[in-house]
Amino acid sequence: MGMSAGNYAKKTAIVLALALGLTGICSRAPAAPKEAKIGFALSMTGAAAAYGETQKNGAQLAIDEINARAGKNGIKIVPVFEDDASQPEQGVNVFNRLIFADNVVIIIGPTLSNTAQVTDRIAQKAGVPVLGISNTAKGITDIGNYIFRDSLTEMQVIPDTIRVVKKKLGIKKVALMYGNDDAFTMSGYNAFKKALLDSHIKILTEQTFSKGDRDFSAQLTEIRSLKPDALVVSALVEEGSGIVSQARELGIPVSVPIIGGNGFNSPSLIKNAGKAAENVIVGAAWNESSSNPLNRRFVRAYTAKFGSPPDQFAAQAYAAVYIVLDALKRAGSTDNRKALRDALTHVKGLNTVLGKFSFTKNRDADCTPVVEIVKNGRFTVFGK
Amino acid sequence: MSIFFQQLINGFFIGSVYGLFAIGYTLVFGVLDILNLAHAAIFTLGGLSALWLTTTAGLSPWEAFPLATLFSGVLGLVLYRVAFAPLRRRADSNLSGLISSIAMAIVFESAAMGIFGARTVRFPEGMFPNRVWHFGSIILTSLQLEIVVVALALMVVLTAWLKHTRTGKAVRAVAESENTARLLGINVERIVSETFFVSSALGGAAGILYGLYFDALAPNMGHSIELKGLAVIILGGMGSIPGAILGGIAFGLSEVFTVELTGMSNLRDAVAFTVLLLILILKPSGLLGRGRVREA
Amino acid sequence: MSEFFAVYGSLINFVGINALLALSLYVPLSAGQLSLGNAAFAAIGAYGSAILTMRFNVPFPLAIAAGACLSAAVAMAIGTPVLRIRGIFLAMATLAFGEVVRIVAVNLAITGGAEGLIGIPNKTTALIIYGTVAATAYFLAVLGGSRIGWSFASVREDETAAMVMGINTTRYKNGSFVLGAFIAGIAGALYAHLNFIITPGEFGFSAEVQLLIYNIVGGTRSVLGPILGAFIITVLPEVLRGVGVTAGPLRMGVNGVILLLVILYLPNGLSSLFGQKR
Repeated sequence: MGMSAGNYAKKTAIVLALALGLTGICSRAPAAPKEAKIGFALSMTGAAAAYGETQKNGAQLAIDEINARAGKNGIKIVPVFEDDASQPEQGVNVFNRLIFADNVVIIIGPTLSNTAQVTDRIAQKAGVPVLGISNTAKGITDIGNYIFRDSLTEMQVIPDTIRVVKKKLGIKKVALMYGNDDAFTMSGYNAFKKALLDSHIKILTEQTFSKGDRDFSAQLTEIRSLKPDALVVSALVEEGSGIVSQARELGIPVSVPIIGGNGFNSPSLIKNAGKAAENVIVGAAWNESSSNPLNRRFVRAYTAKFGSPPDQFAAQAYAAVYIVLDALKRAGSTDNRKALRDALTHVKGLNTVLGKFSFTKNRDADCTPVVEIVKNGRFTVFGK
Repeated sequence: MSIFFQQLINGFFIGSVYGLFAIGYTLVFGVLDILNLAHAAIFTLGGLSALWLTTTAGLSPWEAFPLATLFSGVLGLVLYRVAFAPLRRRADSNLSGLISSIAMAIVFESAAMGIFGARTVRFPEGMFPNRVWHFGSIILTSLQLEIVVVALALMVVLTAWLKHTRTGKAVRAVAESENTARLLGINVERIVSETFFVSSALGGAAGILYGLYFDALAPNMGHSIELKGLAVIILGGMGSIPGAILGGIAFGLSEVFTVELTGMSNLRDAVAFTVLLLILILKPSGLLGRGRVREA
Repeated sequence: MSEFFAVYGSLINFVGINALLALSLYVPLSAGQLSLGNAAFAAIGAYGSAILTMRFNVPFPLAIAAGACLSAAVAMAIGTPVLRIRGIFLAMATLAFGEVVRIVAVNLAITGGAEGLIGIPNKTTALIIYGTVAATAYFLAVLGGSRIGWSFASVREDETAAMVMGINTTRYKNGSFVLGAFIAGIAGALYAHLNFIITPGEFGFSAEVQLLIYNIVGGTRSVLGPILGAFIITVLPEVLRGVGVTAGPLRMGVNGVILLLVILYLPNGLSSLFGQKR
């Protein structure tokens, strides 16, 4: 028993490497990896381009990792990336193309829920599985039994956030601010409102803003005068970081936490809001600071490859590729759409960067949301 | 009461930002009777190029901002040469110019996206000094003050330039009638080019200040201000420099006080555009317009 | 062949709808009225008809007609004051009207707010679309050769002169505006029943400008111009995709360059390539 654990691991590794090398030499023509053609319908230009970009990065990273290991008998992923320009109309064209011309086995995307409402029906009709990675609107997976998503909806995340914040901080009255011309921020607003009412927290005022707004001073001045215990915001990160920094600048003190949903869960919130981001509380589907080794490695590899840390969109895209891989392995084929769909329904407790991942009966995401708080310029776990 | 004053400051400030954007917009319209819809793209590229100069090239803001402003002016020249000059002799030049400027806007925006990526980025924190002053519960920052001062100063300088300098007078002559200007021996092509240079440099400068104050620069940042900028120059009277600034402030105040008075921020844009529609119906030349309504 | 239709069937439908939208703007343009409110009129037709079929089970053809009439009625109401404004100011006024319509759709419950009206029955077919396009184009071509068409043209060329010659310019301007809104309303209704969902964002500023692009690119000398313009602009992104220009920003840039080239080198639009040499 003189062998230390480290030593043991080293030796095993050498033996393994030798074995792998040998098989490489002995069987000159190893069974070629089976190719799986996956379509990606992402918004790489247009209003949602910022999300499509990191989604593509996240997916690409996963594909590169998988293909590097696909050497023998593995599955090699052949991605077909298409840009829907953030428009439903182009989304439809992209889906038709991926389904009927490229003959992909599954489509990952589209970036926007509005687009998904149209495109996913086409896929459902054609019997092609779809895995949404950022669709949070309600009713997406109700379109049919081929439609899945790995993105937790605001309804799944926010009630928990409000419960934890109330328990830990005892807030009684809040101001609610939301983007009223966007499907994502509206679903967040509805979830927040319901959660606040359910926990008997008083809503002092509701203020809205529009997509692309950068000046929130009028609403925040109004809110400041009402002295809320917390500011609850349903926004995407572009508007969110502006709201956070202007709220602090206009004198809403740091002691008043600003609570956001999935849209806030991005390193650019901290980057763009700077010091103002302190005491921002975020309920989200992905925990950047999670000590899960898979997640640690993902954050490191992503940052090294793309020069900036990943956000939740990247994480959900990255996870999606691995979820599909898991299902493909069990489907016994890389081009049978029906078999892949069936295999997807059996994804259970899969270890992903989103944590242990399963699909619910309705093919929605089932993983544990986290509540984080920004302290000293970093997201840290706030509580459960 | 202090809320009222704070809102007044808020409206005044955001209005100055709109005005700053709109000055260059209205200048080109005044001279050429053409709406340059690529102005928002130049605004964006001005901000992003200043970011590139400060971060990647490592210049100080005092070097980077004038350079980026100059660069925006040059982009304006390119824009004019490529998208407007070839159309000048066409009968439908203000309609086709509208479309070709949209085409250039698409090209500029895609270039910005290709080079800088689609994400929202910002100038490095603390790069530019910004002090916060408290007067009771009223809060004012030095950056806000500087932006308002810059906007007002530009209004005064530009108006004086148009009134008193040779080039300025030539610009006004071209605006009044190109043919007459030509008969007077004015090099119309040069004057129009210069107008584009000045207009775009101003647009770029507006983009820098906008990005600086809101900590947000992105390839699509021009979209949100484009439509408001149009509304502002109509409100102020198209082609009028003081009108652009005052129109901007009026628009900013209307936004802020819709929130303040009704408490319903979702009515903010609706009120602004309804007011615009009414002004167009009642006084089509705008608040400070030249009284010229007839356009081809 | 069937694969072609599977891949491009939706694209073909969109071309038809966009052609109809382009024609809706062609009408006021032919009377010299630069309206940037036609996407808003399409929105009124779309929301109006979709609410009728979804909530009240109104038969589809009736719903289209009702949506188009609603759109025309709104145009009639705002036409008289707004059409006193000329040129670029009219464009701005109609744009402001469009913004107000969009904001109303965002804030109303019956329109589904920002999340949009979801689950619209899928009733539009390619046959219906192209039948409507053909009928509209034929009607407009006949109209163009009639007294009304000549009056439109005279108002466009010189409003004052037309007035002096005894043409009731206000009536013709209003007429072109209302007819345009009616066609836009039909296009909107067809679009809504093709797409399962409509959202306010689809009918905003960029949509308004898009309709103008169709007309300028195609040319406004005949009804074929706007149709051709809509065809080219709608198909272009897919063609670029087909030849492998897929990277987002690049495709967007190439799109812009092509638009620019058409404007610069084809003064009367693409349709001038096919017109008779005079």
